[in-house]
Amino acid sequence: MADLVLDRLTIAYGNVNAVDDISLTVPSGEFLTLLGPSGCGKSTTLFAISGLNEATSGTIRIGDKVFFDGARGIAVPPEARNIGLVFQSYALWPHKTVAENLSFPLELRKVGRAERDSRIKEGLELVEMGKYAERYPFELSGGQQQRVALARALVYRPRLLLLDEPLSNLDAKLRERARIWLRELQERLNVTTIYVTHDQSEALAVSDRIAVMSMGKIQQLGTPTDIYERPANAFVADFIGSANFIEAELVGRSAGQAQLRLGDGTQLVASSCPDAVSGKLVLAIRPERIELTDAPGANVLGARITHSAYLGSVHEHEMAGQGFRLRVQTSRAVSSPEVLVRIPPEAIMIFQNGPQAL
Amino acid sequence: MAAATLSDHKVADRKVADHKVRPIMDAALERTGFDRSRLIFWSVAALTTLLVIGPIAPIAMQAFLNKPLYDASATLTAANFGRLVTEAGIGEIALNTVIFAVLSTIFAQVFGALAAVVIGRTNLPGRGWLGEVLVWPLFVSHLVIAFGWLTMYGPSGYVTLAVRSWTGVTPWDLYSLSGMGVVAGLSQAPLAYLMCLGAVSKADAQLEAAARSVGAGPFRALWSVTVPMMRPALIYSTVLNFVVAIEMLSIPLLFGAPNKIETITSFLYDKGINAAVQPDYGIVGAAALILLAIVAFLVWLQGRLMVGSNRFVTVRGKASRPALLDLGRWRWFVFAAVFAYVFFTIVLVFAGTLMRASVSFLTPLVPFWTLLTTKNFDLILQTPNYMRSIGNSVLISLIGGVIGTVLVAIITLVSRRSEFKGARPLEYIALFPRSLPGIIAGLGFFYAVIWVPGLDAIRGTIWILILAFMVRYIPVGFGTIAPALAQIGDELDRGARISGADWWTTVTRIIAPLLKPALFSTFALLFIHFFKEYVTAVFLFQPGSEIIGTTMLQLWAQGDNGPVSALATIQVVITAIFVLVARRVLGAKIYG
Repeated sequence: MADLVLDRLTIAYGNVNAVDDISLTVPSGEFLTLLGPSGCGKSTTLFAISGLNEATSGTIRIGDKVFFDGARGIAVPPEARNIGLVFQSYALWPHKTVAENLSFPLELRKVGRAERDSRIKEGLELVEMGKYAERYPFELSGGQQQRVALARALVYRPRLLLLDEPLSNLDAKLRERARIWLRELQERLNVTTIYVTHDQSEALAVSDRIAVMSMGKIQQLGTPTDIYERPANAFVADFIGSANFIEAELVGRSAGQAQLRLGDGTQLVASSCPDAVSGKLVLAIRPERIELTDAPGANVLGARITHSAYLGSVHEHEMAGQGFRLRVQTSRAVSSPEVLVRIPPEAIMIFQNGPQAL
Repeated sequence: MAAATLSDHKVADRKVADHKVRPIMDAALERTGFDRSRLIFWSVAALTTLLVIGPIAPIAMQAFLNKPLYDASATLTAANFGRLVTEAGIGEIALNTVIFAVLSTIFAQVFGALAAVVIGRTNLPGRGWLGEVLVWPLFVSHLVIAFGWLTMYGPSGYVTLAVRSWTGVTPWDLYSLSGMGVVAGLSQAPLAYLMCLGAVSKADAQLEAAARSVGAGPFRALWSVTVPMMRPALIYSTVLNFVVAIEMLSIPLLFGAPNKIETITSFLYDKGINAAVQPDYGIVGAAALILLAIVAFLVWLQGRLMVGSNRFVTVRGKASRPALLDLGRWRWFVFAAVFAYVFFTIVLVFAGTLMRASVSFLTPLVPFWTLLTTKNFDLILQTPNYMRSIGNSVLISLIGGVIGTVLVAIITLVSRRSEFKGARPLEYIALFPRSLPGIIAGLGFFYAVIWVPGLDAIRGTIWILILAFMVRYIPVGFGTIAPALAQIGDELDRGARISGADWWTTVTRIIAPLLKPALFSTFALLFIHFFKEYVTAVFLFQPGSEIIGTTMLQLWAQGDNGPVSALATIQVVITAIFVLVARRVLGAKIYG
C-alpha cells in the first residue's frame, strides 16, 4: 500500500481558513492522530480526506491516486475513494441489522452472496461481535455499536481507516479498554489509520505519531514522546500536560545551561535552552515535575498556597509567588500555606515570549 | 462486556493475513464518467422550476396583453391595469376583501389560540375528543363547510328559522361581510389551534418549572412563560389565515352573491367564467397578477416576521411535557363553553349537511323524520356525471398523492440532503406555491394549456388537475418531509457515501426506508388536500374531468341544495374512511 499525502491543504469557509496550508505524509500502516482543541481543524481535515468535505486548495492523494487537487479541479466523490470511516455517533443504519450494515458496502462492490457472507462473518469476528449479527443497532450497547461501526468500516478492506473521535461516547473505563483493543486491531491489520481526538491521553496511548493542531495549522508533528517531552512551542506544552507558564528573561548561557531571571529578580537555572531564543522568554513547567522542599537553595522559590484540591491520586495546589502563579501536584497533603518549591533545571522548557507564545 | 472477549485473538489472527493479501476491491467503485446523481439534481430542479413557473408566466403575460393570450394579434399593453382600477365597483371589491380577510383572521386566531391553551394545557374534561373534533373542519373543503353553515345558519337555515319561530326575531345575517368573516374565521380556527397547540404543549416543562421555582403560581407561569412562546406560531398562522381568507372562493361566492358582496376571488370567478359574453382576459390577468403580488408579499412578510423566532424554540433534546393546570371549580364552566363552541360551529354544521341530504325539505317547523327520503342520494348515484366526479376526485387524490409524495420527497432530499449547488434556490422555488392562490394556479394552468403547444393533449383531462393540484401543494409535502428528514442524522448518509454508495443509492437504500413514516403521512395529507381542493379546478375542469367540488358548485348554481348536501356528505364519508384507514394501516400522522 502507498502513503497518504496531504500537500498544502487549505479548507476555507468564507474568510476563515478552517485548515490552513497543512502538509503531511502518513506512511503505509502508520497510526497517526490529529489532536487539538475543538475548532482546530482536525475533523475538517479528516472529512476532507474522506471526501465528505470539499477542500479549497492543495492536494490529497494516496500514492499516485489523486483524491483531490484544487489546481486541477479534481475531487473524487467519497463513494469512489474506498476509505473506511468510523463516526463519532457510529452512524449505524437503524433499519438494518448488524449483518446488513456490513453487507451494504459489499453489495455496492458487487461481492457475491457467498463471499459476502464469509466476509461479514470474519469482519464481525474480528471485532468479536459474531454473535450479534442479527441484532439491530438499538439493541446494542454503545461499546458494541462502536465495534460494529469499526467492522463496517473495515469489511471492504479500505485503503485507509479514518476514526472521528470514535471513543468519545463511551464511558471512561470502557474507553481505556477500547483504545488498547483498537490499537491492537490496527497493528494486526496494518491498515493506515488517521485518528481524530481532543483527548491527549488517548492520543499519547495509541499513536505512532501525533499531529497537534491549532487554528487550522499543525503546531507539532512527532512521536508521543517528542510531543510530551519536547513540545515545539508553548501551545503544545500547554495543550499536552497543561504546563505552568512563568515569564522570564535570559541572562546568560554557560555549558549548555541557561541563567534566567524572573520578574522579581529571582534567578533560575535551566539545563537546556534552544539556541534561537533570547531576551524575553516564557518558561513552561509541568505541575507534576515541581517538588516541595524544606531548604532554600538553587531554583527554590517561596510561594503561598491559595487553594488546594484533593484529586484522589494526587493533591493539586494553586500557589502564588512574587509575580508568578503555579499549579503543583504532590502525593501528600500540605499543612502550612507557606511553602518552598524547587523547579528542577531539567523540568524547565523555554520558549520565546511574543504575541504567538500562547 | 468488552473485556470478556478482548484477549481472544486466535480466530482474528488468522484473518489478518487475508486482509493484507487480498486486493482492495475498489474496481466496482470506479465511475465511468456518467454521474446519475447530477442528472437527477438537474432534472428535478428543471421540472420543479417549470411546474412553478408554468401557471405564473401566462398570467404575467396575459396581464400585459390587449387580447387573449392565444390570439396571435395580441400586443403588449399596460392598459389592463388602467381599466381594472377604473372598473366600476373595484374599490368596494378591494375594501370587501380586506374587511373579510381581517375579520376572519381575527376570529380564527382568537378562537384557535384560546382552544390551544385550554385543550393543550388544562385538565378540561374530555379534552381528548374535543381536540379531535376541533380539527374536523381541516379535513374537508370550505365548500362543504359553507354549505353546512348555509343549511343551519343561513337566512332560511334550520337553526335560524328555529330561533325566529321561538323569539320572533332574525338573530343574524350570514349574507353580510361580518357573517362571512365569522364563518371563514371559524373554519380556519383549527389551523391556528394546531399551530398554537404545538407551541404550548411541546414547550419545555423545565421552563415553567423554573418560573414556579422563582415564585410564580401555575397560571402566572403559563401566562408569562408559555403563552409568549406561542408568539411565532400565532404570527405564522395569522399571516397564513389572512392569505387563506384572501384567496378563499367558496364563502364569498355562496354568502356574498345574494347581496352582491364581491371579493377579489369572486370577482375573478365571475369575470373569468361566468361573464355572459366573452371573458375579459386582460382585466382578469391584471387582477390575478395583483392578487399574486399581494399574497407573495404577505408570505414574504411572514418569513420576515419569523426571523429571530429561534429565541422561542424550546424543543431541544428530550424535553418533558409540561404538567396540566387544574381549572378547579371553573372546570365544568370551561367545558360547557368549549363544548358549545364545538357543538354549534362544527358538529351542527356537519350534522346539517347530513340532515339536509336525507330529507326532501329541511325546516324546524316539520319534524324532519317525516320528510326523510333517499332521493338526493339516488340522484347522485344514478347520474353518471355526478358519479364520475366522485370517481375523478378519488382517482386524482390517489394518483396525485402518490406522484406528489415521490416528487416532493425527491425535491426535499435534493434541496436538503445533497451536494447540489442549486439546493437553496430549488427550495425557494419549491416553496413558492405558498404564494400561489388556488384560483390563480387554476387560471394560470388554464392559460398555459391553451398557450403552450402540445399541452392541449391534457386539456380537460384529470391530468391537468393532478398537475395543478400537485404544484399547489408542493410546500405542504415539503413541510411534512423536511422536519422528519432533519431528525435523520446526516452521518447516516455520510456513512453510506463513504461505504461506496453514490447519492441516489444512499437516498433509496438508507434515507427513504428511514423516512417511510413521514412519506406515508405526506401521502395522506396530499390525498386529503387534493380530495377537498376545488378552487384550482374551477377553470380547469371540463365535462368528463369534473370533481366533487365543481359538481357541487354547478348543482348549487341550479339551486339544488339537496343533491349538493348529498354530495358533500359523500365527500365527508370518503374522507373519514380514508383518514381512519390512513391512521390505522399506514400509521400516518394527519393533523396532530
